[in-house]
Amino acid sequence: MSLFVRFWGTRGSIPTPGSKTRRYGGNTSCVEVNAGGQLFILDAGTGLRELGHDLLTRNLDTVEAHLFFSHTHWDHIQGFPFFIPAYRPTTQIHVYEIARHDERFTRLLLGQMRSEYFPVSFSDLGGHILPGYFENDCAKVDGVVLRCLEQTHPGRSFAYRLEQDTRSIVYATDSELDLMLENKEQTLKDFDVLRVSPRAITDFVRDADLLIADAQYTDVEYAKKIGWGHSRVSTVVDLAVRANVKRLALFHHDPLHSDDQIDSIVDAARQRAALRGSNLDVFAAREDLVLKIP
Amino acid sequence: MARFAADERTVVAESPTSQRTPRPRRRPPTLEQIRGPGSPHAYHLFLPEVVVGRGVQSQIIVDCPSLSRSHVRIVQHDGEVRFLDLDSANGVFLNGVRAHAAVLRDTDLLELGSCAFVFHERGL
Repeated sequence: MSLFVRFWGTRGSIPTPGSKTRRYGGNTSCVEVNAGGQLFILDAGTGLRELGHDLLTRNLDTVEAHLFFSHTHWDHIQGFPFFIPAYRPTTQIHVYEIARHDERFTRLLLGQMRSEYFPVSFSDLGGHILPGYFENDCAKVDGVVLRCLEQTHPGRSFAYRLEQDTRSIVYATDSELDLMLENKEQTLKDFDVLRVSPRAITDFVRDADLLIADAQYTDVEYAKKIGWGHSRVSTVVDLAVRANVKRLALFHHDPLHSDDQIDSIVDAARQRAALRGSNLDVFAAREDLVLKIP
Repeated sequence: MARFAADERTVVAESPTSQRTPRPRRRPPTLEQIRGPGSPHAYHLFLPEVVVGRGVQSQIIVDCPSLSRSHVRIVQHDGEVRFLDLDSANGVFLNGVRAHAAVLRDTDLLELGSCAFVFHERGL
């Protein structure tokens, strides 16, 4: 059995439709993971709307989805009210909280559908919204084990690791790794120096088949955006190399970055990995790209 | 205030529908083979669905040992062209990235084994 990963939204902060972002896409964060028919959804940015339409074409009697949120900023929740399967009584959506009795995600979903923001209320959804939660940072869905890890981001955010047999995927968006580095000061002066992420983060992503990581800023851009909650591409590359990750998908593209700029960022990231003597497969997450983890 | 004679006024005429310029018909998307046996060659995608491979059942046959018999399916739907790896032995690489499926965009490079194709959304 393989894992299939499909990117429905790869953009950070705000949707950016237009000719300059056509290749990598303009929808905000949403990733589908299919594990033997079990559907996992990572974040409900505007890409979720497209996923909803696609699910309706799959001839499923029922839709059952396990929904995980990195956090509740707009670009990660905005697609939910437009997720058509949520309006169907045959749909079951398990919304996972990071701990028992924690209701931050469900509360935000409910809040964003108040009449001030949206014409249809949460209680009018025909689908079944079911609570799920992590216990000791771990959750299990059939044969899939999920772990969560808190990251550094204004308002808190969480990374998720999905494991099925020997396969593993880490989804780690909206994380300012650079604030956590053990050699933070040095890396702000010398961009070439190897960035040393904390042990807990390195272990969390270790040996992953695929790491989907926030890589919003270049080294130059980051200097003006410290504390905004996002990582430098180069920092994420170093993390992936040190943790022996096989494939790194640069994610949460800056809304100011055009397709051509993202191509240049990928080139630089590959060069950095190669300089470290790594054969890490680095690429930019692209809307509608499907990866198979064999 | 200047006054215009009646015959100086601009007349905006509605052009009858029958005289409107017809919208130019779009050329079919094209896979331009730039590497591998038979290249250079342009495959115009007239059919809504084609299979590329070295087997005779494929619609686009490339006689290359690094291709599977049925290597990749190319499907056109709703104005988009999408590929799907048919569990080929050597995989499909989109702009250098191994991919199972994706929507193709203009100038994308699709590599199948040792063969390479450039996708032209509006044909060649």
